[in-house]
Amino acid sequence: MVINWFSVSIRRWNKVTKFLSLFCLCLLLAVSCTPSQQTTTPIAGDGRITLGTTAKPRTLDPADAYELGSLGLVFNMSDRLYTYEPGSTEIKPQLATALPKVSEDGLTYTIPLREGVVFHDGTPFNAKAMEFSIQRFIENKGKPSFLLSDTVDSVQATGDYELTIKLKKPFAAFPSLLAFSGVCPVSPQAYEIGAGKFQPNTFIGTGPYKLAQYGTDSLRLDVFDQYWGEKPANKGVNIQIQTSPVNLFNAFQTGAVDVAYLSLQPDQIKSLEAGAKKGDWQAITAQGSVVSYMVLNRNQQPLDKPEVRQAIASLIDRPLLNERVLFNQADPLYSMIPTTFNVSQPLFKDKYGDGKFEEAKKLLTTAGFSQVNPAKIQVWYPASSPTRSLAAQTLKSLADTQMDGILQLEVKTVEGATFFKEISKGLYPIALLDWYPDFLDPDNYVQPFLACEKGSEAKGCETGGSQTQGSFYYSETMNQLIDQQRKEQNPEARKKIFSDIQNQVLTDVPYIPLWQNKDYVFAQKNVSDVKLDPTQNLIYKNIKK
Amino acid sequence: MSRSKALQYYIVSRLLFAPLQLLTIITIVFLLLRATPGDPADAILGGRAPESAKEELRKQLGLDLPIWLQYLNYLGNILRFDLGTSLTSRGQNVWEIISQHFPATAELAVSSMLIALIVGIFVGTISASRPGTSFDVGGRLFGIITYALPMFWVGMLLQLIFSVQLRWFPNSNRFPPNLPAPETITGLYTLDSLLGGNLSQFFTALHHLALPSLTLGILLSGIFERIVRVNLKQTLKADYVEAARARGISENKILISHALKNALIPVITVLGLTFASLLGGAILTEVTFSWPGLANRLYQAISDRDYPTVQGVLVFFGAIVVTASILIDILNAYVDPRIRY
Repeated sequence: MVINWFSVSIRRWNKVTKFLSLFCLCLLLAVSCTPSQQTTTPIAGDGRITLGTTAKPRTLDPADAYELGSLGLVFNMSDRLYTYEPGSTEIKPQLATALPKVSEDGLTYTIPLREGVVFHDGTPFNAKAMEFSIQRFIENKGKPSFLLSDTVDSVQATGDYELTIKLKKPFAAFPSLLAFSGVCPVSPQAYEIGAGKFQPNTFIGTGPYKLAQYGTDSLRLDVFDQYWGEKPANKGVNIQIQTSPVNLFNAFQTGAVDVAYLSLQPDQIKSLEAGAKKGDWQAITAQGSVVSYMVLNRNQQPLDKPEVRQAIASLIDRPLLNERVLFNQADPLYSMIPTTFNVSQPLFKDKYGDGKFEEAKKLLTTAGFSQVNPAKIQVWYPASSPTRSLAAQTLKSLADTQMDGILQLEVKTVEGATFFKEISKGLYPIALLDWYPDFLDPDNYVQPFLACEKGSEAKGCETGGSQTQGSFYYSETMNQLIDQQRKEQNPEARKKIFSDIQNQVLTDVPYIPLWQNKDYVFAQKNVSDVKLDPTQNLIYKNIKK
Repeated sequence: MSRSKALQYYIVSRLLFAPLQLLTIITIVFLLLRATPGDPADAILGGRAPESAKEELRKQLGLDLPIWLQYLNYLGNILRFDLGTSLTSRGQNVWEIISQHFPATAELAVSSMLIALIVGIFVGTISASRPGTSFDVGGRLFGIITYALPMFWVGMLLQLIFSVQLRWFPNSNRFPPNLPAPETITGLYTLDSLLGGNLSQFFTALHHLALPSLTLGILLSGIFERIVRVNLKQTLKADYVEAARARGISENKILISHALKNALIPVITVLGLTFASLLGGAILTEVTFSWPGLANRLYQAISDRDYPTVQGVLVFFGAIVVTASILIDILNAYVDPRIRY
């Protein structure tokens, strides 16, 4: 066949060549001159919003969703029992009709539920459906299941529209946990209970949007006509997934997407902010709830000496990091509890300040270090983070230039999967990390970092939060304070306990807070009402075009 | 042995050899993944999950078994065409992942290969027919440069020029999210839109396909340019070409009718070898252009330590390469009467 094809006469060959060349040329012209949906604003007046993001959802199953990409979609297609007021960490009822009634011992929560709500498949929502969904969240053993399995003892529908939850131990922040995106009702007709029984490509909840299409690089959400609450201000949302921040940056610049959210790099945000100042588009900023911090491993020399940890706390220059590394796209942080919460106290600023090199030298000298016998410490970070890389290099540079050779920092990196596997084994003396909260309560910035289930002052933490985080911090006083705040229902009394916890961290320095992020969303000029939830979720239903 | 018998013998032996090739691929992939640092239980449950839950999951996934037993189990599953379930998109079968993502890769691969062949043969022919001229030098440079240039860099450069600056082509993705995608028949958007008789969808799909396939196609074309140029130059010195010249046949006719078709036979061999490069290049192209193909999904699965997906996709790619190389060898044997087996 191939031979025959080559055996055409020269005249015919020339004709074919000419035809093919002409066809290719015409095709190229036609293709490149076709008005593209990507390079112009998508269909004017269709009322749908096109959102660009790099946060590809791993799954849409709320019992297994634990990353921003998945949780953001679940958040917008679902309702929870409680939710947050935009821009606030105060919870308010959503599918519940009031805040829960809590028993005297703090173990039983009774929640009245909303009537007249239906799922996307038409199944009515009631207490049985909520009981099913919470049990499924726990028993299917998805990624976030530990949030409830560690806390909840039993869930029961005690009426058609009344749910009773019993806890294993008192937990004052429990209503905030019920505002976690994954703790949403799903249709009992469409889902099953059982370990590993997940549905990654579908979603049937009660929220303002229903899933219309789940493609390999895009999703379509349509407005749910039977939604019980306020209807969305748009006619639906198209979500386009990009594999890199560069593509998202370019897609937004060329007008291919109406809104760009997650995860642009600091230099791209800087450039888009400059465009927004010129009036090319809008930049929307919100106080974030993600904190960046430094872990100090007390089981490694010389960090076993408190003076060395305190010296490093004095060395840190947060405004410099914010300016050089983050282009002022964050806020310096002086407590492990971010300023989003009123219990946060900037104690690190008061005691250690920023770039207090003389203080740092004195502390190191007290600990027995000198120019001849310098303190040598490795600073590690997961390789995928350019921001942390720059931060580590800046810290090294500060130590090299300002500490007269008494402190030598060595920057090291390792691939993310290895880093997160090894950190709990105590391999890294200092590590730079970020914390994305599971729920918005100061407890979530304290307990996972400082609590220890098993350990001693001598050996440090052997099992528990601080071991998982890599600091191996152990303090009996701290464990008691954490338990107390978890039991305490009175906000003022709880605030006092958080103050004690922050003071203890200031003295022991198992972690050093670095910065608190700001969240950025960019929207084209014809789009309005772009708002962020304090949990970093973009609220789709408010967006107008 | 007659040629046809020898050919039959060769085909049978190639087909019998294929499972061995696949077994080698499966074994290497299996061992490499186990040697990679990182724990799938960490990837699935996250660092914050209790160790007891991770242990339970490792048991459930059979990751606590000795490595040779895991290997035997895996081989057994493959023989039953069971590639397992994704560890990260839990509840999703690996075959489902392959069927969702492969059409995008196939569309990109076929269009890139066509571009590579057209450009490579065209430049190679021009270069060989004018030896020592600036066309020849330009052709040689083209071959070397396109072969040496890194794919991701060229991709980003083309994106910057043709998408961001000139706005001729879309920056990324396969189809605009605000338009309904062509109804799935083959999964290849350009073909499906034509089969559905929707020209608007066809041009939109082609518009999105143009930049990634041009990038990959042009970078692969260097190989073909080199092969065509070298072979055509040798062929043009052959006795039968000299004889044709002596008969007064025009240079163009000699070139196209006599020399080129013989010079193209090695291209068929290289086509098979390039297939593996094509799939390798597809990973970079797909990631650069947010192209939702199987190679892009593979990249994500590697980052997530999603063993079943990585193994399944690599075995699938391996099977394609093995099949393609067998087909190319057989085609070569038919096309070139000088080949003896």
